[in-house]
Order: sequence, then structure tokens, then C-alpha cells
Amino acid sequence: MSFEWPWQYNFPPFFTLQPNVDTRQKQLAAWCSLALSYCRHHKLYTLDIMEAQESPVFNHKNIDRKLSMEAILIVFEELRKKGNLEWLDKNKTRCLVMWRRPEEWGKLIYQWVSKNGMVNTVFTLYELANGDDTESEEFHGLEDWMLIRSLQALQMDGKAEVISMDDGKGVKFF
Amino acid sequence: MGNVFGRKSRPSRVTEQDRAILQLKQQRDKLKHYQKRVTLQLEKERSLAKQLLKDGKKEKALVLLKKKRYQDQLLDKTETQISNLERMVQDIEFVQIEMKVIEGLKVGNDCLKSMHEAMSLEDVERIMDETQDAIEYQRQIDEMLSGSLTQEDEDAVLSELEAITQGEDVELPEVPTEPLPEVPEPAETEPGNERRPARNKENREMLAA
Repeated sequence: MSFEWPWQYNFPPFFTLQPNVDTRQKQLAAWCSLALSYCRHHKLYTLDIMEAQESPVFNHKNIDRKLSMEAILIVFEELRKKGNLEWLDKNKTRCLVMWRRPEEWGKLIYQWVSKNGMVNTVFTLYELANGDDTESEEFHGLEDWMLIRSLQALQMDGKAEVISMDDGKGVKFF
Repeated sequence: MGNVFGRKSRPSRVTEQDRAILQLKQQRDKLKHYQKRVTLQLEKERSLAKQLLKDGKKEKALVLLKKKRYQDQLLDKTETQISNLERMVQDIEFVQIEMKVIEGLKVGNDCLKSMHEAMSLEDVERIMDETQDAIEYQRQIDEMLSGSLTQEDEDAVLSELEAITQGEDVELPEVPTEPLPEVPEPAETEPGNERRPARNKENREMLAA
């Protein structure tokens, strides 16, 4: 299944930030949703801003247009305000993208756990994200930081408890 | 941050067994990592050996294949170790379940015991006696109020019943004693055979009533 680009993507002015406030607002919203759906489609959880600049999202080779660094930063800042993105460093070179909130991931994981009758069982994080049993699940391949956050969200609800051991972490569902 | 304190008050629900299971599972994950690594390496060496054979370096290819064989054995060993670990995990989990079952049985047993204590044999006897008395009393009241049937009436009813049932009995045809004539289609005889005993049974039941 290939990624479906929005119509704006083939519209050259989309790659230049618009001066009009209203238009710009709409443009940013479109960029945000494009960036998120692209990450969702390719299951991207961390982005490097330099790499992002070269990725097809912000660099449309067919129409020879690319979003400038400043514009990308503005889009990312917008995403951060919405709670979908977090910077990993002060210089804003790497960031975490959350196209699904930790609570939602937690819900998905918990659904899988209870559907398979594995409540009250202990799991290693590796087993959850990379185990053979979860291969067909959406959370397969979830990055560790995201997994931990979603499990912590479950912990808040009392549905799970993260266990820390000397080497690595585990989780028990309730 | 506010619930840092909140969580402290709540005791952790993770038991020692859970930690043990986690440790076993972590070990298993490590073995799986190892397995993956060895498998990849095997894959690589196989293609390399092929390449060497193509190039005519048979000696080297042989050495490589020997090494590969050794790793194959390692892989097998890892496999058994993983299954050992998994079995251990399952055993622990099952014992935990068994413990829960025993706990449940214990609770049930205690409950039964306490209920039995509340219900002594003498009490039951007394209550049953009292109930019997009450029933007797009620019957007397009923008799007084409605003037129930006398013994004569009862006899009349019974004889009437007998007359009715016997009257039906007379209508029954006699049961044939000679063997049944041979019928070509077995399909027709079967339902006939079945129906007769059923009807006899019905009559017997009526007589009994």
C-alpha cells in the first residue's frame, strides 16, 4: 500500500509559507496532517531534521519544490504545540513524533493483551514490540521510548505496572 | 508529578514470581537475539562458501562449511535452551494459578464451615419438627374451613377412575401371538413395531395412575 499524497502536495505554492495569516494557518494545518500521516504510514517515531529535509515529504522532486529549513521548523513547532512532537535536544535537530498518543497506544496494547487472555502476565518490552506473537499488531516495532510511555499511561490507569530490573524493563498487566 | 506520592501508598502488585518470570523472559530474549545473529551469519557464510566454490577454492569452502556446521549445532542448542526457559516460565505461571485455586478453595471451605456453625443439627431438627407441626395445624384449619372429602367420597372417586381406565383397556385389540408375516419392505414394519409397545406403555401408565 503506497502512501496517498494530499492534493496540496502537487501544488507548488504549498512549499512556500504564505504571508496571509488565514491562508498560512490552513497551510500549516495541512502540513501538520501530511507530516503525521506520512510518519504513520512509514511507522516513523523519531525524525532527524536534516534527514527530514531530504525526505519526500518536504522535498517534492517531481515538481522541484522543497520546504525550507525555517518552514520545516515552524511546522514542527506547530506539531509540538499540538502535543504530537517533542524535541530530543535543545538545538532542535532530533525529535520524537507521536502520531498516536501514548494513551492510545496503551489502549491498543491492553486490548491485545486482554484479547489473548494474557492479563496478569509478565512481558519483556522486547517481547511486546518485537516478539513473534505481536507481529500482526499495529504496535509491532514500536520504539522503546514510545512503548514505555504508553505503558506508563496504562500504569496511571492501574492496568499495568512497569518493572525495572538490572538489565532492561518488563511490564505486568492487570 | 503529583501522583508520585499517590503511587507510594499503593503497594506494588508485582510479586517475586513476576520478577523471576521477567528475568527468565529476558534471558530468553537474549537467546533470541543471539539466535538471530547466528542465523544471519550462517546465511552469509553459506553464500560465501558458494562464492568460494565458484572461484575454485574448495579447501577454503570446506573450512567455512565446517564452521557453519558448528554454528548450526549451536543454533540447535540455543533452540532447546529457549524452550527450556519457556517451559520454566509456563511452570511458574501454572503454579501461580494453582496457588490461586487453592486459595479459592480455602475461602470456600471457610465459608462453608462458618455457615455450618451457624446451622447446628439440633436447630435443623427443631425447625423441621416445628414445620411439620405447622403443616399439620394448617391441614386441620383447611379441613375445618372447606369440609374436605370424606373417606366415602374418596372411594367413589377411586372406583370411578378405575371404571374409566378399564373401559379403555377393553377397547384394546388382542396382541397377536403368531409370528408376523414376512413383509418385503422393512421400512413399513419398523414403525408398526415401534408404535405398539408405545401404546401398551401408555395404557400401563394409565393403569398405574
